[in-house]
Amino acid sequence: MDRLIGLVPLPYPLAVVAVGTAVLGFVAGTLGPFAVLRGRSMFGDAMSHGTLPGVVVAFMVSGVKDPVASLVGAAVFAGLAALLMIGLERAGRTPPDAAIGIVLSASFTVGIVLLTRVSQGGDADQSGLDAYLFGQAAGLVVRDVELALWLGGLAVLAAVAALRLLRSATFDPQFAAVAGVPTWAVDVASTVLLAVAVVLGVRTVGVILMVAMLVAPAVAARQLTTRLSGMVALSGVIGAVTGVAGALLAGRTELPTGPVIVLLATAAALASILFAPRRGVVARLLRRRAAAAL
Amino acid sequence: MNTDALVVVLTAGLLATACGLLGGFLVLRRQSLMSDAVSHAVLPGIVLVFLLTGSRAALPTILGATAVGVACVLGFEALRRTGLVRSDAAIALTFPALFSLGVIGVSRFASGAHLDLDTAIYGEITFAPLRTVAMGGLDVPRSLLVTGPAAVLTVLLVVLLWRPLQTSTLDPQFAEIVGLRGRLAQRVLLVASTAVAVVAFDNVGAVLVVAFFVVPAAAAHLLASRLGTMLILAVTIGWVSAVVGHWAAVRLDSSMSGTIGLATVVCFALARLLAPRRGLLWRRSLKARTALSLRRMQ
Repeated sequence: MDRLIGLVPLPYPLAVVAVGTAVLGFVAGTLGPFAVLRGRSMFGDAMSHGTLPGVVVAFMVSGVKDPVASLVGAAVFAGLAALLMIGLERAGRTPPDAAIGIVLSASFTVGIVLLTRVSQGGDADQSGLDAYLFGQAAGLVVRDVELALWLGGLAVLAAVAALRLLRSATFDPQFAAVAGVPTWAVDVASTVLLAVAVVLGVRTVGVILMVAMLVAPAVAARQLTTRLSGMVALSGVIGAVTGVAGALLAGRTELPTGPVIVLLATAAALASILFAPRRGVVARLLRRRAAAAL
Repeated sequence: MNTDALVVVLTAGLLATACGLLGGFLVLRRQSLMSDAVSHAVLPGIVLVFLLTGSRAALPTILGATAVGVACVLGFEALRRTGLVRSDAAIALTFPALFSLGVIGVSRFASGAHLDLDTAIYGEITFAPLRTVAMGGLDVPRSLLVTGPAAVLTVLLVVLLWRPLQTSTLDPQFAEIVGLRGRLAQRVLLVASTAVAVVAFDNVGAVLVVAFFVVPAAAAHLLASRLGTMLILAVTIGWVSAVVGHWAAVRLDSSMSGTIGLATVVCFALARLLAPRRGLLWRRSLKARTALSLRRMQ
């Protein structure tokens, strides 16, 4: 790991942050398209808010701020939030977007009530948990990067290996069901993958901005390609590049990292929507004008 | 109940009134998450007004932040209309960017005592009784001076625009045919929701905005079959949550905004389980009773 970081021509702490944000951006970018294409972009928002009670509960159970314990707690609660949303949707009457809002409020209020309890105990460094809201890329250490590399790498590999299944379940759920694909299993699996991306990314950009890390690279990539495999790869690259560029830019200008990364990723998405070769707004306008001239 | 408690409960209840009424329409129109998006997107507006005027006076803050919130909604609409981005992705693209601008603005220009991100998110309803304005020899809490008019104006708006709002929500095509200006109603609804979200953000924090807009309305949606009943129920659930949440927060010594928000969630869970005909437990017991009577008949 240290050798990989040594390859980066930057001072050591900065290199750790750069490699870390690249890995996290890549993981979120690769897994984002599966949520965006299914119309579940805001799932990520509720899931990232769901990590808050998870981290606090992990802290209450283990009594120390252990990165692995808080990761597990966050993952479990993000997964629970996702299952709750799917369950509310299935139970009927409540529209899907309202289900997202309810789960988001539930996880966030539970998180805050628990957080106030922990901070009253006096044995907690509350600021550590506070940093969770807005992320703390500068606080990344080698161990975090290793963890992200392993876990995120596994998730990305799983997504690539199951690309055909995910593709049919994403684009044509009815066909997939008829063709014998266990759609609920695919649902659970893609939710777990999303949870991994959210849990890893939340540390860098924070609970509130995490959803942009999933959605913005995917939207940018969508305008540039018409194939799912191409979109996933491109989205991962855009996520990694905006991650690194944002972290370095934030370090140089002494601005908070998460917001800078998010603004860069959003700029990439907007640029892609405007200037994409075929689908882009400008290309379409030019085409329409050319057609009118004929 | 002492005066401080009364101020907190009244502030939360008045906001719940405004949010519940508008939230009912948003939930039915499948625009619930607009409240989430706008409540985050107004942060740069608040920061901008603070930078320009150097103060956090209520009126300019509300006007400025509402303008940014409306800009967020327009940006979202423009993105959606390109046909390249689905509406949920458009929301997820607009509000984090605006919130990022707000966070950068706070950390760069307004860090310190004037704008505190944590309290903006967690809410500072606990301090509502402490910030007062002298009026006619009386110390009136600032929060009531803002939330009171917000609630009254929202009730007026819903009463005056009842027909267009109701029809365009339940049957948009019919509203267009009979000339009920559905798009105007939609715009008025969005601007009003944005303004109320700003007021709520400023007084009780972002946590309660989504909880108040979506959760009571969704709970009422499970209990009622008529729009009027649903809205009244949503407001009632909001007030019950304010009272119960405040009581629980004092008993448990925990976050006031968090506990009030949690109370709305508990109300929703109860409605989801026990609502007549639609509740999950009700349905199950109905199934069991039907099976029993069927077996008796055999």
